[in-house]
Amino acid sequence: MPWPKETRWLGKETPRVDGPAKVTGRAKFTSDIVLPGVLHGAILRAKWPAAHVKSVNLEKARRAPGIKAAILVNEGEFEVRYAGQEIAALAGTSKQAVLDALALIEVSAEPAAFVVKELEAVKADAPQVFAGKANLTEGAAKETGEVAAAFAAAAAVAEATVSTPIQLHQPMEPHGHTVQIDGDELTAWSSTQGVFACRDSFAKSMNFPQSKVRVTCEHMGGGFGSKFNPGVEGLLCAKLAQAAGAPVKLMLTRAEEGLAVGNRPSSFQKLKLAADAEGKLTAFEIYSVGTPGFAAGANQGGGSGGASFPAPYIYKPAATRVKQGSVAVNAGQSCAFRAPGHPVASVGMEAVLDELAVKLGVDPVEIRIKNDPHEIRRKEYALGAEKFGWKEKYRKPGASPGPVKTGVGVAGAAWMSGGRGTQAEIQVNADGTVEVRVGTQDLGTGSRTVVQVVAAEMLGLDRDRITVRIGDSRFPPSGSSGGSQTTAAVSPAIFDACENVLAELKKVSGLDDPRGANWKAACAKLGSAPLQVRGKWREGLSTGGAGGVQFAEVGVDTDMGAVKVKKVLVVQDCGLVVNKLTCESQINGGVIMGLGYALYEQRVMDARTGFVLNPTLENYKLPGAADLPEIQIMLLDMPERGVIGVGEPCTVPTASAIANAVANALGVRVPDLPLTPDRVLAALGKVPKGATGTAARPDATAGAFAAVAAAPEAEWVESNGGCHSYT
Amino acid sequence: MKRNPGDAAAPSGSEVFLASGLSRRTFLKSLGTSAVTAAAMGAEQVSQGLAQANAERPVGPGAVPVTLTVNGEKKTFRLEPRVTLLEALRGEAGLTGAKEACDRATCGACTVLLDGTPVYACSMLAIEAQGAEITTIEGIAKNGELSALQKAMVDKDGLQCGYCSPGMVMVLTALLRKNPRPTEAEVRHAIAGNLCRCGSYPRIVAAARAASGQSAGTKLTFISSHDHAVA
Amino acid sequence: MNAFSYVTAQTAGSAVELVRERGRFLAGGMDLLGEIKDGLAEPAVLVNVKALPGTREIVVAKDKVVIGANVTLATLAEHAEAKKLLPALAQAADAVGSPQMRNVGTVGGNLAQHSRCWYYRQRDVRCVKKGGSRCFARGGENKYHSLFTKNMCLSPCVSNLAVALSALDAAVVVQRGAKTVTLAIAQLYERAWSEPKAHHSLAADELILRVEVPVAAGARSAYVRIAEKNEFDWALVSCVAAGRIEGGKLRGVRVALGSVAPIPWQVKEANAALEGREPTAENAAKAAERLLKDAEPREQIGYKIPIAQALVKRAVTALAG
Repeated sequence: MPWPKETRWLGKETPRVDGPAKVTGRAKFTSDIVLPGVLHGAILRAKWPAAHVKSVNLEKARRAPGIKAAILVNEGEFEVRYAGQEIAALAGTSKQAVLDALALIEVSAEPAAFVVKELEAVKADAPQVFAGKANLTEGAAKETGEVAAAFAAAAAVAEATVSTPIQLHQPMEPHGHTVQIDGDELTAWSSTQGVFACRDSFAKSMNFPQSKVRVTCEHMGGGFGSKFNPGVEGLLCAKLAQAAGAPVKLMLTRAEEGLAVGNRPSSFQKLKLAADAEGKLTAFEIYSVGTPGFAAGANQGGGSGGASFPAPYIYKPAATRVKQGSVAVNAGQSCAFRAPGHPVASVGMEAVLDELAVKLGVDPVEIRIKNDPHEIRRKEYALGAEKFGWKEKYRKPGASPGPVKTGVGVAGAAWMSGGRGTQAEIQVNADGTVEVRVGTQDLGTGSRTVVQVVAAEMLGLDRDRITVRIGDSRFPPSGSSGGSQTTAAVSPAIFDACENVLAELKKVSGLDDPRGANWKAACAKLGSAPLQVRGKWREGLSTGGAGGVQFAEVGVDTDMGAVKVKKVLVVQDCGLVVNKLTCESQINGGVIMGLGYALYEQRVMDARTGFVLNPTLENYKLPGAADLPEIQIMLLDMPERGVIGVGEPCTVPTASAIANAVANALGVRVPDLPLTPDRVLAALGKVPKGATGTAARPDATAGAFAAVAAAPEAEWVESNGGCHSYT
Repeated sequence: MKRNPGDAAAPSGSEVFLASGLSRRTFLKSLGTSAVTAAAMGAEQVSQGLAQANAERPVGPGAVPVTLTVNGEKKTFRLEPRVTLLEALRGEAGLTGAKEACDRATCGACTVLLDGTPVYACSMLAIEAQGAEITTIEGIAKNGELSALQKAMVDKDGLQCGYCSPGMVMVLTALLRKNPRPTEAEVRHAIAGNLCRCGSYPRIVAAARAASGQSAGTKLTFISSHDHAVA
Repeated sequence: MNAFSYVTAQTAGSAVELVRERGRFLAGGMDLLGEIKDGLAEPAVLVNVKALPGTREIVVAKDKVVIGANVTLATLAEHAEAKKLLPALAQAADAVGSPQMRNVGTVGGNLAQHSRCWYYRQRDVRCVKKGGSRCFARGGENKYHSLFTKNMCLSPCVSNLAVALSALDAAVVVQRGAKTVTLAIAQLYERAWSEPKAHHSLAADELILRVEVPVAAGARSAYVRIAEKNEFDWALVSCVAAGRIEGGKLRGVRVALGSVAPIPWQVKEANAALEGREPTAENAAKAAERLLKDAEPREQIGYKIPIAQALVKRAVTALAG
């Protein structure tokens, strides 16, 4: 690797460059942008989970005080497929004026039958989300090796049935934009993970040349995969701006965040895993179904497809049978969500692997080291087990004395990461100051600081000499921030640009090494024309394939079903660490998000109204400071691998490790995430069956799912695409 | 365990009646209809009653003058009574530091100090904040100089996207004024009403501890290639 | 929010007059403003009651503690004498919402708060609590709902203070027209037991002025609860035990459960089962059995039963000190 060995900035603890602006309130997020004469925009959403809309009358709303624009999402008649679907949008002089006028829009609609629960939607007689199409989309089972024979010959076979919930992104800054159309130019201030993707999307849908569209994002309040494109709300914002002839700001409400901006698909998984007497995995089988919302099977925004996920996850038994289904329900569509597919895959695989280890009488860490094909992860298991005190802490399932039982669990993560394609521009001024311009954006991952660190390192300068300008589609192109690819895509481009700067400066100044002490003198030779140099991503500086493992220790109150995570140990490879401080923060964040997935988070749909019952943060429960475990992080320093992103692998195994720790504590597996007290108590058999009620939820789930899993294969149904229409 | 209704001490007059001794309705009626009654009440009673009646005149629903003291500066806006403090600060005062993230008292991003006490600006009417000293995040750094807590938030990386940061800083500023050396548990309890989706809590807690001169050690272990190659 | 006018009442008498014009009392506003934002309430006027004289103090007398309705939850939670004399009440106050909510939320507001049922709070659901004909939680998503109720609505009373004050045998002084009346906690909620639309027994123009909590020498109390999250979350179930210990035996003991019924849940026989007995786990279990005798563990609610049993045990044994 050409990265320097002795460093001043690279791999140190560097406070983020935009920290002072963010802790003083000076940082202007998208939601803080106020243009002169800006109008407020808001969206009317469907109240019905399914309906045929015959007409939408905007006239009364249009004439309401302060209203400057009123537009339809669909011309003519159309179908509503989930409660929350966009119907119309208004722009007006104040937020209240617009909210008041929304109530005046008249919608004539015929409500239709709907289904919002996955295990209802798969039934043959369920209402169809798209008339004439089965809700369930299944691929044919994919087989490798001789599955039946391998299971028959195995020394041990374990089974597990688990489910994972719909997880909502809930970034602290809601989705939204301000759009201004000035003559033939469209400018958008977007809370986005991809200024270029947004630019292209605005250009296409508004029929503007790409050269006339500019998207900026100075600061944004989190995305986690849900802000790769402008969304329906962005395009409505642009259309309102066009219709009103004035800039329009449209930020979604928290409740809208819970309905319509994406989510992590749910899953119901039935798994089977076999090993030989040595504990080598020999056969694997999975049937899964989950919902990515109304457009099941469609390719979702950000590149994750439907409700399927990698299987078998991490491990490679020779014989595998994999069948995955995606079921449409009348609910908001999923999209990419931090490590799409992987936490879902991990929960099932790690569960059945632990069950198998128990059957074989093998230590869970040992069975992983024995079977994991990834060398780094094997090393991480060994390192982590020692640091965690695994051998001392691990007991046979349920062996911990009660009533508060402790347990430990472990799980691994695979992530391709990688990242390429970024370009950057560096301007060196005669006074020695430097501006780095790159069209990436900072989601809170610290990208802006990464740019500064790399440039300061390569140019041998103090950080404060370097001004970083990002988040603008007029800067040299960089991809969307996702897939843990930003640092790996951006750093090499800065490296390259810096090398080019040094080469140019050498020529201009005649100094052999213009860095450090020579910098000022070299720059002084530039005269009135600043030096502008480009650079681009190149091979050999960054890579992919991050491995990580996590260990969790929990205490479970078996009287009340409460799970407390005491400790999570993360052992993570991320190659050459650019900034330890922000790297650690991202890992903390990944663990805490995984903790939410394990214990608290789930979108709750109501079968009879079709509504999301918990779109807001009162009942969609995000982990808070009081819920924190002790988080220990071991970073494997491997500069020889180059830069590798870490944002996603660190959230993958947390929930699995916690779920395994709970199973270890209890001696029985709580099959459904999140592991809330009702479910823990049900798994312990402590919940009385109601006189009027049905069985407690986990039983109901497992039972209904078993029936689905046993049903004959449905026909392959070609997906009908995104169908999230906004014209 | 039941009590008979009304068996407690008799109510004191001031709770039920105007200072004049008459009920509000009777007083107003008497003023309007009978000069004799008013005269009979005596000038002092009438003026007290009038002062109260005046104080009890509803304002709105249209815009009314609302005077807020924000970061030491008095500003008067014309606001409908339904306008929240957060809307007034962000929309009228141009102070966008306090963030709107939930608008339902569930996340803490809008936290400001009211007479030094953290409150959710999204869930308080601007008209209710009159007469109080309102401090927003913009009022914490003095002359561009970060407070010790703000410095620690930056140095310890107590933020990622930064959208929750203004609220966190406000709550912790109030905590440290009241409790200059909080334990980790006290810090967690203080920020229980502030959500951070990026999961920066460990570093926020570390920042609060560092700002109060306490240890805020990292839990990060860095293992060099050499060591893990051996392992 | 709909447009409304705003007025600050100077006396309780005028407050209840002012509120009659389609008004709502405004104290901390934590519940009310959310209801207005969500279109559940459309008041014409908000009557600010925070200026009412004598409603912001905690007065400790020889045999009782009097807590003004406008005392904030934070003040109550941190009040040194309240913590000493009425630990369960201070703990219950400290467990409400978040610090910011406790800084503005009041004692009166906590007691008079409306249902948090997620069907009730949905703008577009017209449930029985809002005058509709059915309870959507019945047969729906009801894990946060009641084990006991006499009416169709399944939403529980979620006031932390109500549970504590119930076990502490407190009374509430309420402005009713030109008079004040004193209600036991049971009376404050009895309408919610039988009427689906009621959140409590108070009419729209009745205002809580203060709470009076009797204090006997040697009185002890404990508040315990469990929520899904460790803080800033609604209790799944809460429990308060209160009483004295004389010669190792419980005297004047009362145990109340929260979030299991539209009222704070007390059962005379359960209290009687503890009277004169030691605060042991075994005795607590007997009390819990009587407290939960008529529980209806419908659909997703049954898990509250083992939790309630455990909480009763912990609250009662905590009285041992």
